[in-house]
Amino acid sequence: MLDLLAYDFMQRSLLAAAMVGGLCSVIGVFVVLRGLAFVGAGTSHAAFAGVTLGYLMGWPPLLLAIVFGLATVWITGWVEERGRMKLDVSIGILYTTTMALGILFIGLMKSYNAEVYGYLFGSVLSVTPEELSVIGALTVLVLGLLLLFSKELYFIAFDQEMAEASGVPARQIFFLLLTLVALTVVVSLKTVGAILVFAMILIPASTAYQLTHSLATLTLYSATIGIFTSIAGVLISAFWDVPSGPAIVLLATTIFFISVFFSPKRRRRIQLVHSH
Amino acid sequence: MSDPREPIIRFEHASFGFPGLIALKDISLAIYEGEFIGIIGPNGSGKTTLCRAVLGLLAPVEGHLHIFDCACDALRCHHRAKIGYLPQKGVVDRNFPVTVLETVMMGRYGALGLFTRPGRKDRDIAQEALAQVGMDSHKDHSLGQLSGGQQQRVFIARALAQQPKVLILDEPTTGLDITAQHNVIELVQQLHDELKLTVLLITHDINMIRSRVDRLVLLKTRLFAAAPPAEVLKPEILHQVYGKDLVITEKDLVIVEDYHHHH
Repeated sequence: MLDLLAYDFMQRSLLAAAMVGGLCSVIGVFVVLRGLAFVGAGTSHAAFAGVTLGYLMGWPPLLLAIVFGLATVWITGWVEERGRMKLDVSIGILYTTTMALGILFIGLMKSYNAEVYGYLFGSVLSVTPEELSVIGALTVLVLGLLLLFSKELYFIAFDQEMAEASGVPARQIFFLLLTLVALTVVVSLKTVGAILVFAMILIPASTAYQLTHSLATLTLYSATIGIFTSIAGVLISAFWDVPSGPAIVLLATTIFFISVFFSPKRRRRIQLVHSH
Repeated sequence: MSDPREPIIRFEHASFGFPGLIALKDISLAIYEGEFIGIIGPNGSGKTTLCRAVLGLLAPVEGHLHIFDCACDALRCHHRAKIGYLPQKGVVDRNFPVTVLETVMMGRYGALGLFTRPGRKDRDIAQEALAQVGMDSHKDHSLGQLSGGQQQRVFIARALAQQPKVLILDEPTTGLDITAQHNVIELVQQLHDELKLTVLLITHDINMIRSRVDRLVLLKTRLFAAAPPAEVLKPEILHQVYGKDLVITEKDLVIVEDYHHHH
């Protein structure tokens, strides 16, 4: 296994996986707490539609992924704010519409394009040095903004109206969060793929949620779990020659179920039941 | 009523809601610094709307609302930070993974503004707020582990950590047992007395607050009264708003049909 680490491609994939794992799991804390889980799913399919349009027209795929991703989260946020429609309905519609566009664009392509499927299913082992620098730059940007606005983001996740009432520019912070979710999804497309990126946002944060009552500790645990499962998933993928996306996600899911079982919250509930 | 003081909150023929669905109509009301106001009225009478307006979350569709001598729709964020708010129970996810101290620290965020990290001073203010509500020994506990009454105290501490001039409480005793209800109201009274806060308290329990408040504001879409309790708690006035749901006992207790059971 150690021989593998000597290869450039292996070092690149481990670095990419660690960054994506850390980024998804940190933003995942805010997504899970603010109840935006499905926004992650909707955005990843929209971003994938952007990628397919990029390949079809010969335009930069990641740029279009960002445009599609941002359009989806902003429409979602706008609809929620107006109270026009339930959030799950609007996301459900955008989710399937963009997926239909993605399939349509693939159908319109003259030839089979393996790279497109790399974005759908993730192929971290084929990350190029250029892609790695894009992932690195966006990771630093998104994590930097999350850190800069962390106190406001925690507050709107807890109670957006309360935050607004006490003088936090809550609406702007909410749209910042949506924007950062879209950027995170785009960064992660190449590594875990459009179908599984949602899991990377959701699972580490939900796992950490089982283990602590403190916001600060929650974020730390989530990031640790996200980075660990991503690196371990890539190693498993390379060693046993299985796809990297599912390796990462299934490993994270396993840890999630273990955490549910050993959760101090669960134990307390059981004690309460027995004491009654 | 003539008053030499300047009101800190002033409604002038203000209406709130949407065209076709007006929640509050033609409200004219001046609230003065240091007043303890009880806001009463049936469900759906616009009590919460009145508070959301004072918080700067709603602009009037007609008329004017001035808070700290600033038009409500132009309320700047630093004004909002001067109003502490305890929302109705059930609005907040009480199993949110957050410690008591982290919850109270959130009260500092609005006043601190963007880009400023809370420091030792903010921590001290938050700890002091917790001490004021008698919850300082619970600061590292999880919010979800506390009883309903204790959680209400923590949320009051969060409002106090804003170092507000005005404290707004939306039915703070709902869902608490009798002792906890009494303790919360006692705490609010004590904060009003000691910190000279202007308090707006929404409640269904008229008897619990009648001896404590300076004025009662009686709402049912319109403003029916805004006067000392003795002037408001008269059958002819109350019946206008509550109709047959209201009973006044021989001992002068006001009993309103329990609206919560209708939900």
